[in-house]
Amino acid sequence: MKSVLQGFALLFNFKVIVVIMLSSIYGLFVGAMPGLTATMAAALLIPFTFFMDPVPALVSVVTMSAMAIFAGDIPAALIRIPGTPSSAAYTQDSFELTKQGKAEMVLGADVFFSCLGGLLGAVILMTSAPILAEFAMTFTTFEYFWLAAMGLSATVMVSAGSQIKGALSMFLGLFLSTVGVDITLGLPRFTFGSVELLNGVNFIPAMIGLFGVSEVIRSVMGGELAYPITRVRTGHIFRGMWGLFRKYQVNFWRSGMIGTFIGILPGAGADIAAWVAYAASKRFSKEPEKYGKGSIEAIIDSGTANNSCLAGDWVPALVFGIPGDSITAIVIGVLFMKGLRPGPMIFEQQPEILYAVYMAFILANLLMIPFGWLAIKCSSQMLRVPRNILMPGILMFCIVGSFAINNTVFDVGIMLLMGIAGYFLEDNGFPVAPVVLGLVLGPLVEKNFMMSVIKADWNLAQFFTRTGSAVLCILTIIIWFFPLYMALLQKVKKSGKSSK
Amino acid sequence: MKKNDIVFGSIFIALGIFIFTQTFFYPSLEKGHPGPGLFPNLLAILFIIFGGVLILKARRPSATGGEEGASPTHKKVTNAFFVLGIIIVYVVAVDKVGFLVTSAVLLFVLMFKLGAPALRSAISSICITLFINIMFLKILRVPLPPGILGW
Repeated sequence: MKSVLQGFALLFNFKVIVVIMLSSIYGLFVGAMPGLTATMAAALLIPFTFFMDPVPALVSVVTMSAMAIFAGDIPAALIRIPGTPSSAAYTQDSFELTKQGKAEMVLGADVFFSCLGGLLGAVILMTSAPILAEFAMTFTTFEYFWLAAMGLSATVMVSAGSQIKGALSMFLGLFLSTVGVDITLGLPRFTFGSVELLNGVNFIPAMIGLFGVSEVIRSVMGGELAYPITRVRTGHIFRGMWGLFRKYQVNFWRSGMIGTFIGILPGAGADIAAWVAYAASKRFSKEPEKYGKGSIEAIIDSGTANNSCLAGDWVPALVFGIPGDSITAIVIGVLFMKGLRPGPMIFEQQPEILYAVYMAFILANLLMIPFGWLAIKCSSQMLRVPRNILMPGILMFCIVGSFAINNTVFDVGIMLLMGIAGYFLEDNGFPVAPVVLGLVLGPLVEKNFMMSVIKADWNLAQFFTRTGSAVLCILTIIIWFFPLYMALLQKVKKSGKSSK
Repeated sequence: MKKNDIVFGSIFIALGIFIFTQTFFYPSLEKGHPGPGLFPNLLAILFIIFGGVLILKARRPSATGGEEGASPTHKKVTNAFFVLGIIIVYVVAVDKVGFLVTSAVLLFVLMFKLGAPALRSAISSICITLFINIMFLKILRVPLPPGILGW
């Protein structure tokens, strides 16, 4: 109880409240701008969080991401372009309803169910994290090796598009993580005589390059510089929401659960949660023919799922130090740099930080109602911000942010290289998120493996015979064979259809 | 798309081979157990295998594999190089000229180049520069290069 109060005190002080307000506005703006994703927002936020205390730093990421994932729905409804990838699943439905003159209802449902979904996710986070942490206390390097391996496998399996490309992206991240002094003998690896590289590839400029600079390059290489904006009435967006909730209660609970579970899965983020919830929604709907032509059910389901997913992403991040998605990967990277190691020990030693994070989730989602309402009111002004002003501005933040961390030009070089690499990778269908997860999980996999084998004198059997590691090993193998199983299922379905 | 997959596959295979050339002389732990080279070598093998699969898949004609959309125009490619150039110029100039001047000038140049009107570019670039300056210098207390002018 004492730490709950401490958490309260940490959260409700003037500085933190200001941070929450600013992060909310920032998240709403970035989320609502097509082409600027929540992950990019997190990457640009880290130079700032780097110089803050842990609590405001974490709280700002929580608030920012919750607002950004909701705000991505706004341009989906107004100009048929999702503001972030997480709104892509139901963009078509949102826009169709807007065309039918129901924009008020769509935007209202976006805010209302984003808020409820986020709150449900937060409650699941608060209840499941301490239980899992108790479990995690018994974990040794063997189990942590498997956890990290599981995270890496899940990242590849859920990566959009080709899994081979997802895997290659991840290997690239893992390879970058091996740069620097090696942990067994202290041998410099792949440093090419550079003193700066001895500590490894600096995480922050790498993220800014991958998600910020690459986006700026993509934007100037093509894409619209202005959008045709539909004028819509947004007078009473919350009218009829309670009715919608009562009518689609089942959808809400189902999608909230789906979203949170996908969040807990390492490597899978809000965009995947939205797609899965959309598919489930269509499968169980009484009116599946409406999907894609303007179904409010689809919007409620996926809108709930992508916001509930955010809290789920923090479960493995806080309990095991294994990121749930690319945003929490960035957060973990920053915490490491600040010398804070997320994991079960945090639950014993600094529980007040956890309570502050929990409460930030609740607060951010409650604030979504007034802030979301404001954002919808200002949406057409926001979307009118000219991109030829915005993109140079973002580039400047990228440069200054990368530079400021260590005050070295070397980091700006890393940002530049990673920006170019990120652009070419994404342009050719290689997902970028696995690179980050590889970069964060790489040292965990290697360190825990090497420590384990040295401890066990190269007796590899221990990786399979300890209870915890055996369970995690089986889970990892199940993840590996999941695509095979899905392919078989498809084949069986197909042959079943053709034989009819 | 498919041709690019072959290029990327080759790059990854080359990276794998390069890793091997680097790790070849890495020392091993006592009793000959693999040490610093273990993970890079494992990754090198994976790069080569997955790169190979990527190439093989790209060579096989598939029903879905259409050619990629219209290639970017000359102007757009110039824009991209302009962005990269800006970053490099910034890095070279910032220590000598100072944060405020370098940032404002480069922002203006890039905005103008991307087609924003001159006056709007000028005002926006000054506002953004001042905003970053206040955020980093005053609020976060991170020093930015002052340059010869001292500001």
